[in-house]
Amino acid sequence: MRAYKWLCGTFGGLQLVAGFVLFASFFRFHAPGSEVAEIPTGPIGFYFVAFAGCALIGWGGALLAVARQPASGRAIGTTTSLALVLMAVYRMLGWLMGDYYVFAGELLRFEAGLFLALAAAFLWLRPNASGEFV
Amino acid sequence: MLRWLGTVVIALLFALNLLLPLTPIGRRGTEAALRSDLPDAVVATGEPLPDFTLEDLDGAKVRLADFRGHPALITFERSVDW
Repeated sequence: MRAYKWLCGTFGGLQLVAGFVLFASFFRFHAPGSEVAEIPTGPIGFYFVAFAGCALIGWGGALLAVARQPASGRAIGTTTSLALVLMAVYRMLGWLMGDYYVFAGELLRFEAGLFLALAAAFLWLRPNASGEFV
Repeated sequence: MLRWLGTVVIALLFALNLLLPLTPIGRRGTEAALRSDLPDAVVATGEPLPDFTLEDLDGAKVRLADFRGHPALITFERSVDW
């Protein structure tokens, strides 16, 4: 239970921070005379960046809630695991396509491996159907 | 059940991720090696290109032969700027 609590708390906290950064980047991009050099995209891209930021805030908040009450957080462990697998799959595809490899290189495969390991951790550390931990 | 099924999927994807550089599509070789993989890419560096015709942004036909004797730069890029 302690490991699941730590995993949800740490991952949720990081997501919350990343979510706020992405959400704020939308306003930074549209502020007169400013540019967001670390995210090389345009107005449409920042629309989706802000969308991703809002989703991360919601996801991270849910994980932080599970960190407070781990026994009630089975479903969020399952869905987080699924989302991490999907994130790994599109990174692997991005590596193969080459377009993303140009600027991200082997980071794509490293992130895919990291997310798959996290997916396995969420799957195994979550409580079972009766709310007990393995 | 879901736990084991998910673990199998994750393990397979993990293995695929490790093996990606060894797959034919994931092998990033030299320019010469890449060119040799394309059956129709028969022109070697320094040789003249065979003539071809493309459309410009206004839809007009442009032949490579029209540029013979002049420097010509051909680029391939995506036009969508997000």
